[in-house]
Parts: sequence; C-alpha cells; structure tokens
Amino acid sequence: MPPSFAGRWTPFWLSLPMLLIVALFFYIPVYLSFWWSFTLERPFGGGSEFVGFQNYARVLSDPIFWDAAWRTLVFMVFGSTLAIIVPLILALAADRMVPLSHTARNVLIWPKGIAGASIGVVFAFIFNPFVGIMAPLNGLFPGLWNPGSDGTDAFIMLLIAHVWNGIPFNFVILLAGLQAVPRSLTQAAAIDGASPWRRIRDVQLPMIAPQLFLTFVLEFTESVVSAFALIDTMTQGGPGGATRLLVYKIYQDGFKGYDLSGAATQSAILMVFVLCLAAFQFLYLEKKVRYER
Amino acid sequence: MQATIGAEIRLDALTKSYGDNLVLPGLDATLGAGEFTVILGPSGCGKSTLLNLLAGLERVTSGRILMNGREVQGLAPRDRGVAMVFQNYALYPHMTVAENIGYALKIAGVPRAERDRRIAEAARTVALGDYLTRRPGELSGGQRQRVAIARAIVREPSVMLFDEPLSNLDAQLRHGTRMELAALHRRIGASSIFVTHDQVEAMTLADRILILNKGRIEQFDTPEAIYRRPASTFVAGFIGAPPMNLLDAIAESGRVRLASGTVLAGTGANGPVTLGIRPETIHLNDVGEPVVVDYVEDLGGHHVLAAHLEDGQSLRIVTPPDRRPEPGERLHVSFAGASVHLFDAITGRRLADPAPIRSEGVPA
Ligand SMILES: Nc1ncnc2c1ncn2[C@@H]1O[C@H](COP(=O)(O)OP(=O)(O)OP(=O)(O)O)[C@@H](O)[C@H]1O
Ligand SMILES: [Mg+2]
Repeated sequence: MPPSFAGRWTPFWLSLPMLLIVALFFYIPVYLSFWWSFTLERPFGGGSEFVGFQNYARVLSDPIFWDAAWRTLVFMVFGSTLAIIVPLILALAADRMVPLSHTARNVLIWPKGIAGASIGVVFAFIFNPFVGIMAPLNGLFPGLWNPGSDGTDAFIMLLIAHVWNGIPFNFVILLAGLQAVPRSLTQAAAIDGASPWRRIRDVQLPMIAPQLFLTFVLEFTESVVSAFALIDTMTQGGPGGATRLLVYKIYQDGFKGYDLSGAATQSAILMVFVLCLAAFQFLYLEKKVRYER
Repeated sequence: MQATIGAEIRLDALTKSYGDNLVLPGLDATLGAGEFTVILGPSGCGKSTLLNLLAGLERVTSGRILMNGREVQGLAPRDRGVAMVFQNYALYPHMTVAENIGYALKIAGVPRAERDRRIAEAARTVALGDYLTRRPGELSGGQRQRVAIARAIVREPSVMLFDEPLSNLDAQLRHGTRMELAALHRRIGASSIFVTHDQVEAMTLADRILILNKGRIEQFDTPEAIYRRPASTFVAGFIGAPPMNLLDAIAESGRVRLASGTVLAGTGANGPVTLGIRPETIHLNDVGEPVVVDYVEDLGGHHVLAAHLEDGQSLRIVTPPDRRPEPGERLHVSFAGASVHLFDAITGRRLADPAPIRSEGVPA
C-alpha cells in the first residue's frame, strides 16, 4: 500500500491553494466564456439574453473568422514545426560538441527569461525596413522587405519571432534527451556503417521520441494561444489582417469592437480546437512513443 | 556461419592523448591474421582507448594502424571491416532483435531476402533463433549479449573487437559464454581482439595476451609464456590467482638471499633484486623460513594464506586442504624446488633465470 496521509482531509487542504488558483483563473473563465457564447451580452452591462447557437452561426458564417482560422492553422503548422526543428538542429550540434557548443548552450537559454512582449518590441526594431538588418538589402532591392505594408513579410517576421521565442525551452528539452542517449549506441551505429545523418534518423531521433512528443504537444498549443503578445507589439494584426490570428481577433472583437458574445464564441471554438488537438496527440501519437530505454 | 579471412593488424608508433593526458605513449605490435588477442591490464590503462582507435571511434594522435598492410587510421569505422561488441551491449532499444542484427546489412543495402537469411544464420549461431521479434528490453543479460555478438558476426568482419563483453554476466554464464566465444572465433576466422581485466578470461581465450600498463606494452606473448616467464614484476603481479609473490632480496656471490639470510636461489646477478615466487610452489615444513599467518581464505580445493616474513614482507602461500592454519599461527615454509623468477629491483624487468634450490639453504 502506498504511504497515506494521517488525516483524511490533509491532501485536500494541501492542494486547496492550487485548486483555488486554477479554478479562479482557468475553470471559471472557461465556464463563463462558454456561457457567454450562448448569450447575447451587452457591452456595457445590463443583462444578457440566451440565444442558443445564434452566436456560433454568426461567427461561422463570417469570412473574417475563417481567414483568421486559416492563418492560425498556417502559423501553427509552420511556427511549431520550425520552433522544434531549429532547436533540434542546435541541440544535435551541441550534443556532437561542435566548437563553441558550450558557449552556445548558455546563450541559447537566456531568451527564456524574456517576456513575449519584449521580444516583439525588439524584433519589430530588428526587422524595421529602414534601420533593421534587412535595411542594406532594401537599399539594393527597394521594397524587398517591408513588414509594415507587405502581409507576407509581416507574417514571416511574426514566425521568426515566435520560433526564436520557442528555441530555449525546446532546445533544453531536446538536448537533455540527446545527452541521455548512451554514447555507445551512436558508436555502434557508426561501426554498423551508418553515416551521421543515418545515426540521427535511425538512432538518435527514435531515442528522443518522448522529448519530441512533449515539445510537439506544448508547441502546438503554444503557437495557437501565445502569439498574442508578439502580434500586439509588432503588427497589431496588420497589415490588412495578414497577421490577425484567432487569438488576436478575439481580443480585437472583444475589447476593441465590444462584441463580447462573438469573442466568447470564438474563444470557445479555439478552446475546443486546442483540446481536440491535445487529445489527438495523446490518444494517437503517444501510442507510437516508446519510453523504454 | 561461413569463415572469413582475418586481417593482420599492425600498430606502428601509435599514440593517443586527450589534451595533456598521454594515454597511449607509443604502441608497436603486430597482431596475427585470425589470431585471438586478449588485451589485459588494470583499469584506466588505455584498453578501451586502443580498441576505439582500432574501430575508428577515436582519432589517433600520431602513428599508423595497418590492416593487411592498408593504412586505416584515417578511415571511417564503416570502411575498416571491423565489428565491435560493447561492454553494455549497446543494442538499439527501439529495434527488434532481428532489426538489431540486420542494421548493418540494411545500411549496406543488402537485399531483403539475403538479409533475412543472414540474420537467421547469425541468430542460429548464437542460439537466438526464437527471439528474433523481441526487443532488447525483453531479453535477459545473457541473451542481449548474444544479440550483440550476432550483430557483430553477421557482417562477416575481418576484425572483431570485444570490450569486456562478459563483465556484466554472472560467473556461470560467463564461463559458458567464454567457451562459446572461443569456438565461435575458430569457426568464423576473424582476427579477434578482446579487452578484459579478468586474467582467467585472458588465459583461457587468448592465442596471445597483450599486457598493457599505463598505455605501454609490458609483454605480448602466449598465455603459457606470460605465466612461465613474466617479463616484468608488473606482469608477474598481474597473472596467476593468487599472483606471484614479489620479495625484496639481495644477490651476492652467486646467491639470492632474504634479509634474514635465507638462500632462495642461485644467480649470477649482484645487488638488490626482486624475487618472484609462485604461491603454489611454496611448501610448509618444520624447519624453513618462519612466517606468521595473517589471513586464511578457504577455497575448498585449497587454502590461500596471506602471511608475513620476519622482516615484514608479505607472502601468499597456497596450501592443501587437509590442514587449515589459523590467523596468528607461526609456520615454517620451504622454498626448495619453488618456481623462482628474478627481476631488476629498480626497473622491474626480468633478469637471467635463477637456479632454484633443491633443499633447504642449498643452491643447485
Ligand atoms: N574521451 C576521453 N576524454 C579524456 N580522457 C579520456 C577519454 N577516454 C578515456 N580517457 C582517459 O584515458 C585513460 C584510459 O581510459 P580507457 O577507457 O582506455 O581505460 P580502460 O583501460 O579501458 O579502463 P577500464 O578497464 O576501466 O575500462 C583514462 O585515464 C581516461 O581517463
Ligand atoms: Mg574500458
């Protein structure tokens, strides 16, 4: 029998603060936003009216919603893939002890301590078409890079900032996984004739499948919900809605457009989507991950 | 398993250092084609390093490695025709036994049908046929060991490297696997290089034993020669269970004496020497050199006594099982007819053979 607490209620008291926080900041808002998605809320208070699925019908027939949803999906696929592949390459290099990997390890972890909004401000400056790193190229080819007016440029800038933001955490997780792979395994593969690329594909990647799975689960969710700070500081959804992802549209509709019911409805849809994504990952992908060593 | 042709391996002024740490200060040796060479030495003497150099897992610092006359020190592991069995087996945990064994063939692009045939054959050679679809995590230590060996032999390598492959097995399994390895070596014909610090493994498996001490070759010879004519005090103290006794003695006017004056052997040398005496050639009697027993190990078939001479030098003696001396007991021992070896007291190198004494105090 596992050791148990003396008092029957002790575990409850111990976990109560955490439960309260989770309830206050997660479950109650979730509940409220689902509730609001079925009502018509007045922006300045003064009662609400139950309207059934009307909000959903309205949101789902709005082409701007689908535009934002599509951009969210594209951002999720490219953003999370790159935010894993780039740290993976860095981690593989650091694991192979390429020169400077010790320094790189430290340098790569620092960004973890920077808030998303700060990253946004810094990147907006770095990618400024007139004074940023692309300025010389713009001098050669005028109009080549201008995230202020070109939607694709803005989207790319957002992606880069997001990937950069994701590097530290994913790098640490993946490097830890790689370092736990016994060196003799890659040596055995080398003797078996595997080139460095084959060793990565056949031995190292399968061995860090649990870490890859973890980063994918977290990264998919992260790319859907946490691009907000970056968008708000860099592009505010523009130009022309090119970087208006769902999270940002919800904010715009709710706080700028005072369409509280519409925002709540879109939040609910987004939450269900993220939930389904996570469920799929755990129910389907995780079965393919072997944790044994 | 069809026989392959083992490669002759020549080490030519081979050195390896890690930063300032000169692990192998310069090796010269020729390992015969198809020979079973055991590399024996204490922990940290550079055995694994040498094996990794041969396999191509580490870069040589200077010198050459030749296999059948071809320089290989610059080649990648896969271009050397070398297979290796690791101490911890290093099986791929996410692959089945068959996939583990066949991985090298798959990479080499061997067609499916031939691959399956060779996997089955290698598995049969190590009696693993029933486990092909299992994963390493579902096997016992001994079975994993067999998979590792099958993975090595399936490629029909010309050189097989073993890095302490038996050290994770229990004593009984180790004994059985040792005999199978010897048989396997004869059957497949590859040159085998086997690293161990177990001298019993070395004595039983080797055609020749290469004894390493701090990265230098102390002696490279047949097990018999190493046992009978150890080239240095290091080898003498390393081989034999219990190992040879090494006593400080004086050589003068044709005789080797202990400090007590007891004559141990006849010799032409002069000055301080180290005298080696095998513990199993020392007898108990009533009149010889007095010793005090410190400790007794009862090994069933015989006892091993740890004792000390009057001048404090320690001495191991193997005695028959009929009488069990007690710690603290005073005994007398005779060196008459003992197998004695003479070494330079300073360099530790072997000197000209001394003459054993026939009876108490009388050199031959
Ligand atoms: N990658 C490395 N970097 C630095 N030093 C190393 C490295 N590998 C081995 N050494 C050093 O080289 C020396 C020899 O090591 P090696 O592993 O060859 O010993 P060994 O004879 O195999 O010992 P054991 O019987 O304990 O396995 C040791 O002093 C070790 O510290
Ligand atoms: Mg070793």
